[in-house]
Amino acid sequence: MTKELESKFAEELEKNQGIIHKVCRSYTNNENAHKDLFQEITIQLWKAYPKFRGDSKFSTWMYRVAFNRAISLYRKSKRSVDTTQIYDNLKELEYQDYDDTQDRQLDLLYKAIYSLNDIEKALALMYLEDKSYREISETLGISEVNARVKMNRTKTKLKNILNP
Amino acid sequence: MIMDNLENLKNVWQNQPVTDLNYTKEDIHSMVKKKSTSIVKWILIISIIEFLLPYVLILFTDLETPSRIYAEYGLDNLTRNYTIVHIIIILGFIYVFYKNYRNISVDSSVKSLLSDILKTRKTVKYYIYYNLLMMGILGLHFFYIIMNSETFISKLPDNANITVLWVSAILLWTLFILLVWCFYRLIYGFFLKKLKRNYAELRKRE
Repeated sequence: MTKELESKFAEELEKNQGIIHKVCRSYTNNENAHKDLFQEITIQLWKAYPKFRGDSKFSTWMYRVAFNRAISLYRKSKRSVDTTQIYDNLKELEYQDYDDTQDRQLDLLYKAIYSLNDIEKALALMYLEDKSYREISETLGISEVNARVKMNRTKTKLKNILNP
Repeated sequence: MIMDNLENLKNVWQNQPVTDLNYTKEDIHSMVKKKSTSIVKWILIISIIEFLLPYVLILFTDLETPSRIYAEYGLDNLTRNYTIVHIIIILGFIYVFYKNYRNISVDSSVKSLLSDILKTRKTVKYYIYYNLLMMGILGLHFFYIIMNSETFISKLPDNANITVLWVSAILLWTLFILLVWCFYRLIYGFFLKKLKRNYAELRKRE
């Protein structure tokens, strides 16, 4: 019974792990921290898994648990992020061909997201994932109206960081 | 430029390649178990430190005085024998701790993990009992030899009461062992509690 549950869990997690990786990369700035956070989230998901009844999609549920874990772990360490590095990279980017820059753009985007605060990170991530406001409000446990207001603020902030 | 438009960013985001940090199902299985693994790893590390620490400290202490005293009371052979036996037994414990650690990190089912957690808890308890018992035996043996040695008896005043000496020696030694026991409870008790909690959590799923 447990074995079955565990392999079902591992299977679903393996399929959907991209979600956790995206969350990890947004909330950390190096590979080791990324891996640590991934494990933390996995343990948390496994703990909560028996309570997951499929009322929401597996991915929505995963987002909720992953954000909760990431936010609670990184809330304490309020770091200031060096945005000048992002500006320098942006400048360089302007001189490059579009095709070569796909990776760099993504990297920059992650850096920009990393400079946002805990909640804004989650909002930016879900915006980029094209989540509906309903799903966002469900994931973050806030009202839809509140989600809209916060989302607009986050989008402006993100735009300002990327276009100094 | 492409970064101007947030909608374009969505494109970049959604076309991002799969990260090379991807995990397999087996990795995920072992991650779920990671909690106990790290607790058992710490038990292993601390037991090794505890084992090595006295030998490291000895390097910095003056060996002349104790070995002179040992020789004076004819304790040097005894000390050596006890040390050899002790080292062998402790190395045995460390080996078992290591085996527990290996087992727990490769366990594939919750059932075997549960039994390995129990085994680890038991090993730690035996380890503590052994250390305390060894201290007790060693102390009594030392006292016995010292109090019967010519050197000691010749130094005693005429009206000395051997029984009082024995009782106070044993009382002091017991106090010392109790102190060590508290120390063990503090260090290993912390990990044992964590293991217990993890065990209960796993048990609920079983």
